Amino acid sequence: MGEKNIVARECYEQLLAHLQRFSDINREAFEQLIPYLEIRRFDKRKTLVGQGEIDDYLNIVIKGLVRKYIHSEKGEITLQLATEGHFIQSEISFHHREPSQVIVEAIEPTIVVSIRYDHMQDAFNKIPGAETLGQSIVMQMFIKKDARYFDQLKKTTRERFLEYIDNHPHMLQRVPQKILASYLNIKPETFSRLKHLLQKR
Amino acid sequence: MVAILQKYIDQFIDLPAEELEALINSIEVRSVDKKVRLTDMNETEKYLYFVIKGLARKFFYKGKEEVITQIAKEGELISSSVSYFSGMPSGYVIETIEPTTFYSLHKDKAEQLYNRYPKLERLSRLVITELFLQKEVWELERIRYNTKERFLRFMTDNPELFQRVPQKYLASYLNIKPETFSRLKHLLQKKNSDAPYLK
Repeated sequence: MGEKNIVARECYEQLLAHLQRFSDINREAFEQLIPYLEIRRFDKRKTLVGQGEIDDYLNIVIKGLVRKYIHSEKGEITLQLATEGHFIQSEISFHHREPSQVIVEAIEPTIVVSIRYDHMQDAFNKIPGAETLGQSIVMQMFIKKDARYFDQLKKTTRERFLEYIDNHPHMLQRVPQKILASYLNIKPETFSRLKHLLQKR
Repeated sequence: MVAILQKYIDQFIDLPAEELEALINSIEVRSVDKKVRLTDMNETEKYLYFVIKGLARKFFYKGKEEVITQIAKEGELISSSVSYFSGMPSGYVIETIEPTTFYSLHKDKAEQLYNRYPKLERLSRLVITELFLQKEVWELERIRYNTKERFLRFMTDNPELFQRVPQKYLASYLNIKPETFSRLKHLLQKKNSDAPYLK
């Protein structure tokens, strides 16, 4: 077995661990799924999906950091930051097979495990339990989307900032400040001010 | 009444007659008055509601303000879906706007169906995916389009709702201040005097 295969095996083991956090997929069913999956690597700032492209993949981050953003009148708005164990894609484009409005881009050198749209449909037809897993994955993404949305609405800027940094302490180092500010819906000036607050704490 | 449900299902899947019948046998028909709360904050959602006749809305509270995320008319599904599928407490309220008749499917009944009927399990996955995507569409609309664009897009797609839904609900759904909403309405009246829904 070459080194490449060993690395692939490690990726799949991590994937299984991530999936088992929210679904009851067992190893046997998972092994059946592997032939449908791909491991993809992206350099820093490479796009997984460009605006206007049709997204062919559902991805889970194994290593690295990926963001989803959209161009608006106010500039780039970051909609999602995905680190190890998180799903990311242009979901409307993927499911409806239409050009993407959003851009999905690697912030760090990134490894994702992906399933292509047509392979996913195949898996649904051929692998028992794939439907249940598919539903759990969508549910997981849905819960995260809702939770983030409520956070943005119900919490003050300061609460949002402090809670996010407490829960994701490494992100201040990993994500450019401008992007993190956009993701948290905080003005860049306010963001800098809040960061100073953090140093005093 | 079944035809309207059949039409909804047809957009997702070709359901065998046997599975459609099983689904219909598991469904409860519920008729409620206007302004009835079907699901409240922090309750666990037990039902998917499919509107046969009438109108319902889904909203959450931002302080005391109600923020509407969905207005469901005939042929559409409404539910506090994250709560329904995950069992977590609902962050939303589901309430009727008009006297409304629903097909409602209880979660326990639904799960019995999925164990027996593979196409119904697939339908369930496709429906939850669609509800998830609707949320994304709603969010992207608010980012991509300005107030006037959001107003015009909605009125073009849903002219009949303009008459049926109280203006403050439409304004909330479109994230437009009530004063601005009135102003936009007048603007539209002048520009499109032949628009049937504004006469």
